[in-house]
Amino acid sequence: TEITNMASTYSHEWRAVCDKFNNAQDLSEVESRKDPENDPFRSKYKARELLREIYCSLKNFDVGENESVNDEADQRPTEQPVDGGMEDGFGRGHCGDSPAGSRAAKLGAVEYYLGVNHVETEELSAGEEHLMNCMTLLEKCSISPENVSLFIQVRNQLGILWAGRDEIEKAQGFLETAEAMYIRYMKEDGQPPMDLTEFFVAEEEALPQQERTKRFEMAYTHTLYYLAQVYKNLEQYEKAGGYCHSTLQRQLKFNQFIPLEWAINAATLSQYYITKTLYMEGRHCLSAASVIADLAGEVPSEAAAQESEAEAEKRDQLRQKRAEIARCWIKYCLNLLQDAKKLLEDNIGELDMDRQAELRATRLQEEEEKERGRKSAVLFGSSDTFDSICGLEEKVSCVFPVDFEEARAIFLVGQTYVNQAKEYFEMDGHVTDHIEILQDHSALFKALAFFEEDLERRCKMHKRRVDMMEPICKDLNAQYYLLVCRQLQFELAETYYEMMDLKLAVANKQDDLDAHTVKKFNHLCSSSTKFYQMFLDSVRSPEGKWPDKLEDEVLRPALVAKFRVARLHSRLISSSKTVQLENLNRALECYNFVVQYCKDNPEAKSAIETELELSEEMVSLLPLKINRLQANLASSN
Amino acid sequence: KDSVDCSMQHQQITHSGDSDSIKVFVRVRPLTQGTGLTTDGDQGLCLSVTSPNTIRLHSKPEPRTFTYDHVADMDITQDSVFSSVAKNIVESCINGYNGTIFAYGQTGSGKTFTMLGPSDFDNFTDDQRGVIPRSFEYLFFLINREVERSENAKSFLCKCSFIEIYNEQIYDLLDSASASLFLRENIKKGVFVEGAVEKFVTSAAEAYQVLSMGWHNRRVASTSMNRESSRSHAVFTMTLESKETAKEVVNIRTSQLNLVDLAGSERQRDTHTEGSRLKEASSINRSLMCLGQVIMALVDVSNGKSRHICYRDSKLTFLLRDSLGGNAKTYIIANVHPGSKCFGETLSTLQFAQRAKLIKNKAMINEDTQGNVR
Repeated sequence: TEITNMASTYSHEWRAVCDKFNNAQDLSEVESRKDPENDPFRSKYKARELLREIYCSLKNFDVGENESVNDEADQRPTEQPVDGGMEDGFGRGHCGDSPAGSRAAKLGAVEYYLGVNHVETEELSAGEEHLMNCMTLLEKCSISPENVSLFIQVRNQLGILWAGRDEIEKAQGFLETAEAMYIRYMKEDGQPPMDLTEFFVAEEEALPQQERTKRFEMAYTHTLYYLAQVYKNLEQYEKAGGYCHSTLQRQLKFNQFIPLEWAINAATLSQYYITKTLYMEGRHCLSAASVIADLAGEVPSEAAAQESEAEAEKRDQLRQKRAEIARCWIKYCLNLLQDAKKLLEDNIGELDMDRQAELRATRLQEEEEKERGRKSAVLFGSSDTFDSICGLEEKVSCVFPVDFEEARAIFLVGQTYVNQAKEYFEMDGHVTDHIEILQDHSALFKALAFFEEDLERRCKMHKRRVDMMEPICKDLNAQYYLLVCRQLQFELAETYYEMMDLKLAVANKQDDLDAHTVKKFNHLCSSSTKFYQMFLDSVRSPEGKWPDKLEDEVLRPALVAKFRVARLHSRLISSSKTVQLENLNRALECYNFVVQYCKDNPEAKSAIETELELSEEMVSLLPLKINRLQANLASSN
Repeated sequence: KDSVDCSMQHQQITHSGDSDSIKVFVRVRPLTQGTGLTTDGDQGLCLSVTSPNTIRLHSKPEPRTFTYDHVADMDITQDSVFSSVAKNIVESCINGYNGTIFAYGQTGSGKTFTMLGPSDFDNFTDDQRGVIPRSFEYLFFLINREVERSENAKSFLCKCSFIEIYNEQIYDLLDSASASLFLRENIKKGVFVEGAVEKFVTSAAEAYQVLSMGWHNRRVASTSMNRESSRSHAVFTMTLESKETAKEVVNIRTSQLNLVDLAGSERQRDTHTEGSRLKEASSINRSLMCLGQVIMALVDVSNGKSRHICYRDSKLTFLLRDSLGGNAKTYIIANVHPGSKCFGETLSTLQFAQRAKLIKNKAMINEDTQGNVR
């Protein structure tokens, strides 16, 4: 009878506690959002009072039953437990699911909620004290399904708290311990653990296993998410990248994500991998981003968008985000081609056959290792999406292309994404974005041209670049787009220069230069000169004055432009000696400029060493040539 | 064959010439009662102006000195603020440059006083009138002078728009009935707010009228729509078009003068980097909002490679892209309160102003080191 009596009072009082807890949760989570601005924490304070009452009731419950626990809980610990050391909370004190352990966990949970409450109401020290009390209570328990969530979540909270105080290492300690606890629990036990809220519900209201798993996994996802931030703040970027990846992966696995947000994050992560030359990982992120972005639904039609504002916004969001992902793909293709080019080129920028053979050979070897590497790589995908992601991956290679065919396949994928991205980022409305996409398209052509062995065809590829940039360069208002204008001018000048070089190489294979070829060659020379000149003019003040000192950003491009203009002048072909003389004099003038500028500004020398050396040489050689020509001209007159 | 590859790469922030880089003017307001920022009896100062371009903050354990283009102490006149900050910018606008003046600082640090004057809008002739009315007067003084000098061969057209950016939404302060507006870019016009009302003005008084009307609307909106003006940015834009006919050739030039009242700096902390603080998971739980920012930071540190960042500029930086290290003359007026109670805010304002000095063109040269000149 004594037992039944106790049970009934117990259950009666217990129900009151559970009600109070529910009430406190509701006040804290729901009611608090409606609090007036001049009394922002009203509901939180009410919740705090309820939590305090719960704490008192809990302490009275088991008096006599477990005196030892009671005493210990009352004592303020002389030494606070600190995470980050060797202690990991396993196998100490009494069993997690013993009555004493259970009682400690319940009290710990209340301390936890009180801690969070104080932190939320900006009383950090008090919050810390409660959270540390929770830690102290747990100290004596071994980890069990009943308390493992609490073990992890209290550390999450302490991590946030200490990071807010600029003590990142301290935060790191708590969070890393939480991580270790999760891993060990899953290894040693692994059954879906109890949620924090379940300490205060009647048994029949216990959560289903699935819900328990979801909440537990979510808490751990948060641990990883906070660790990603911690490592970023500690400038451990590689680690931070890994934790971002794991966070994304878990969001997907447990179906806890917003598709567009997730997709953009994954696409951004791909850019991190690309900059680290990790193309396999980059491709994986991008494929996942594309597949998940599609889960966000169909793009509403234009008609639907005109009908309702919500549809219009949805349409814009979906189109924009998908275009953004396409742009990340473009960068993937571009960097893969450019990196391959860097690996394969010889010291004059041509395809090196030996390196090509070398790269082919190492690739075979890598294929075999890939199988192993793949398994250790972190993969995205729930069972629903995994196949689609892999399917998309197969459409583009992640290894460096070694010949034109392979390069072309990557180029074509890039070009498809260029067209996709341009659909949203139209010139009218998105000038800067549109031009950036065009610049990437041009860069794709440029990289592809490297792999093309037929010089005529290579020249045609450069012509495509000119065709896409030249009209825009003319129309763009330099008052608002000065930098973009300069970029386009410089790139056009370079492209024409490249074409001139190719024409010359082709012509050199023939025996004689026909008039048509000469005309074409001269045209390319003067087009290149024209754009270098436009660029150089943009450096002048509006009054047309050349600056005494070039700004750092334009120093090298401006001097290189001068140098190139000099060479272009000396290369122009003319049968007239007078014209030849004119051209040589212009060339000398430009070489002189480079030399003189570096004399006046010695700090500029390091920026253009090679060009300067050649300019100096030409400054000493050209006058001889000019004199000879002059003499020749005088005698023939 | 030359294979030295010089291409300039567009970074986040666009071009600025050295002479045109952002200039920073720090103004210390006088310590007066009734601002709510000084405690009674606490007359302690947290800073002192040590030279015309340095300010010392009495921080512990070591005082810190900050250097700017100009530091004005409490006793500076409104007229000399105008002369140092705005005169040159207004002159360049007449010559076809774009110009921007930002006011930045904690609420109560004297932003409105600096920009407008003591009590709003009855102060057009007041000695204490601020930078904006003085700029209008000077602008129209210059316009009239130019017209006279050219014997009417030159004419000017001046129109104003006034918008507010609150919560990443754009509102037209000259048309309070309009819904939120969009930013667009045009190959000829650059960045503009689509559909914003533009009012033609022919004198300083008219310009001031337009400004005061918008300012009034801003207040009304802030009370009726739960918009807080200390949390919003207001951008007043004057577009100036000059037309010169000489020998039957018509020469048209346009320029813009932007006057920007930034949200109170104490509110900026919500959105700016908060040091090491961790972003918590939002209550919806599915959204881990800041993960993207973390990744973005990772991508940002790896320079040299071409990559795409999916996160868009804020509306303000997009609109004023030219002013923030762009093709324009820009001044930031950082207002600080000297009271020791404001130490934290003052420090963060001074730090912001120092960072602003660093905003410069980041056009980069991407070089193929493999290249050899032959």
